[in-house]
Amino acid sequence: MPSQPPLPPLIAPYVSSQPESSLTLITSILGATSNWLVLRFLHPALSTSINPNVSLGLDEQQNDAKKKVVLVSFLRGWEFWRAEAKRLGLDLARLADKKQFAFVDGLSELFSAPQIANAASPSPSNSAIPPRTSLPLRGPPGPVPGRGPAPAPATALPTSVNGNATRNQTDLGISKKLRFTGRGTAALDALEKDIVAVIDQLKGSNDSSEEVLLIIDQPDFLLAATGPRSGIGATEMSEWITGLQQAAHATVMTIAADSPLIHNAPAAGNQGATPVEGEHAAFAIGSAHRARSVMQLRTLETGAARDVSGVLRISRGGGLSAGVDTLDERELLYYIQRDGGVKVFGRGES
Amino acid sequence: MAPVNLSHRRTHNLLLISKLLSLRDTASPLTLLLDSLEQPATPLFQEYIRRAKLSKVHVTLIAFETLRKPDGCDAFVSTRRKSPVDIIKEVAAAYQPSTIAGPSKRRLIIIDAINPLLNSRNVDPNFHLPSFLGAFIAPSNPAAPKSDASLVVAYHQDLPGILPLNPYLPSSFSILTYLATSIITLHSFSHILAQKAARNRSLVAPVFGLEEEQDGVLLGRLDKLSGTGAAEGIVLELEHRRKSGRGVLEWYLLPPASRYSANQVKEIVTLLDDNILYNPPIENDENGEEEPQSTFELGLTDRQRRDREGVVLPYFDAQKGDGPGEGGRILYDMGEEDDFDEEEDEI
Repeated sequence: MPSQPPLPPLIAPYVSSQPESSLTLITSILGATSNWLVLRFLHPALSTSINPNVSLGLDEQQNDAKKKVVLVSFLRGWEFWRAEAKRLGLDLARLADKKQFAFVDGLSELFSAPQIANAASPSPSNSAIPPRTSLPLRGPPGPVPGRGPAPAPATALPTSVNGNATRNQTDLGISKKLRFTGRGTAALDALEKDIVAVIDQLKGSNDSSEEVLLIIDQPDFLLAATGPRSGIGATEMSEWITGLQQAAHATVMTIAADSPLIHNAPAAGNQGATPVEGEHAAFAIGSAHRARSVMQLRTLETGAARDVSGVLRISRGGGLSAGVDTLDERELLYYIQRDGGVKVFGRGES
Repeated sequence: MAPVNLSHRRTHNLLLISKLLSLRDTASPLTLLLDSLEQPATPLFQEYIRRAKLSKVHVTLIAFETLRKPDGCDAFVSTRRKSPVDIIKEVAAAYQPSTIAGPSKRRLIIIDAINPLLNSRNVDPNFHLPSFLGAFIAPSNPAAPKSDASLVVAYHQDLPGILPLNPYLPSSFSILTYLATSIITLHSFSHILAQKAARNRSLVAPVFGLEEEQDGVLLGRLDKLSGTGAAEGIVLELEHRRKSGRGVLEWYLLPPASRYSANQVKEIVTLLDDNILYNPPIENDENGEEEPQSTFELGLTDRQRRDREGVVLPYFDAQKGDGPGEGGRILYDMGEEDDFDEEEDEI
């Protein structure tokens, strides 16, 4: 199969420009992950190379140089994103040096013991942020190993203990490592402050017209790991997202929408649902109500196919103001090739 | 539905929805909008705001979900990290009715989604929903000049609520539906049409979006009809409780905002039963015998028909059998219009 353009033309209009203060929600399920789509949001914002497939409109090229991206990832580490972006021709480490891109690591030290906090502050940028007084960790000790396929926990944790030399090599490009301390909204406020500080740093002081795109990858993990016992529910999470939205030009958020997480919610009479099921459903559906557009990824209903990886459905969310703003709803198929290239096509086409 | 009934509903219920949406006579102090992902309430909010602007009503939006102040809003109250008491104070401060004795200006207060407040974990346990909503409609401060305020509250039906702390208390949703003077449930018109088509064939009505319970599907809405202008619009299912206690149930259709100008005063909402897509006109079989068209007059007048029936045909006469040769004579009575001619008409 021929190699695909980094940005499939069919989805280009959806990923290349977001109106101000809009929220784009990407939902994924276990069999259809959202990484490739997140990378397709990174590409038009950061890529400066003239690509015939990207240049659908002339103004897009002008925007390219101006856009900046902050990626907050809770499920995947820096190494993963750097390697995947490289396959699209984006050098994230270099872009981070040029202050066009910032990576906020919500994975590797989110629940680490607080005493590493001061030693492990990776970049000099942190000096602007006052040091937080952290409470001893009370959460369950388990979440780190179970977080997913990302290699980051294995590499990041030992290096942060070992010493500065190796750590700096791995962490180069990470603007901030989030750490969850305390409970309830206070803990979320601290996280928000950290992320907003990174966004402000990227914005710079000279030009406020620069657009910062904020991508939050799977914040539902934070909800699942803390939950109502820590005083965090769907409402608090949504408020937290709202706060971050106010700081950025536009926001893209990915969230899991597997059936058990959505449909087991405690309806009337369904008392057996766990708090995670209820809160996750409320958070996911509530976010869809706020979102301007919802991009839903799922597998084919008819089973696995050799040349189709899944279905992408782009729908208008509840937050789209009709009349002012329009969005064409579409359903497309996509296929992820072995080299990481993605082909997007309509049903019946190839 | 009998036609008499329909015309009655057309007159009265259209007047009612017009009154409700335009906030006339404070017909409904608390309107509850039940929406879902399949049909969000945003277009209806815009319609409320549009009408409020036309009649110079002061609009306040209490934003639990909205990030930016929409066009047409006079005041925008963000609720992030605010307690209910603070919200009430801020809303009251947002509108200062003129102290000059004049006609008190009406006021519209919109809450874009009440769910976050109801599901919040950090709300004071003494939070009392009825008094929270009541504080907007009737300010507790007696010194404040009275203003006619209408409250429009949206509630997302598809969001799971949290169980009440006290198992013997009704859920917040029950309280809301109990308090509301009008409840408008929003449906997508294309879904209503699909469900009606299925019902007409005695099939199970299709479900959309979350109700499909399909892995990875939050929104089923995929309007292929968009642009064709066929089934666009919102279906409003209205339940209005009159002061007398009598309830009114009616289904309406609100056309999309692109169909009318922002300054249109004429009512745009129609009855759902009046829509030709929902209720296609029935073919009338009464006029099935179409007369052939020609330049001759082939029909008969009443008089001609009567005369024709009066003619006694010859074979009736022949059956009398008055002997051979007698039967079968043609007997002809002269009419007044007949012109007697001796030679031709000799019998």
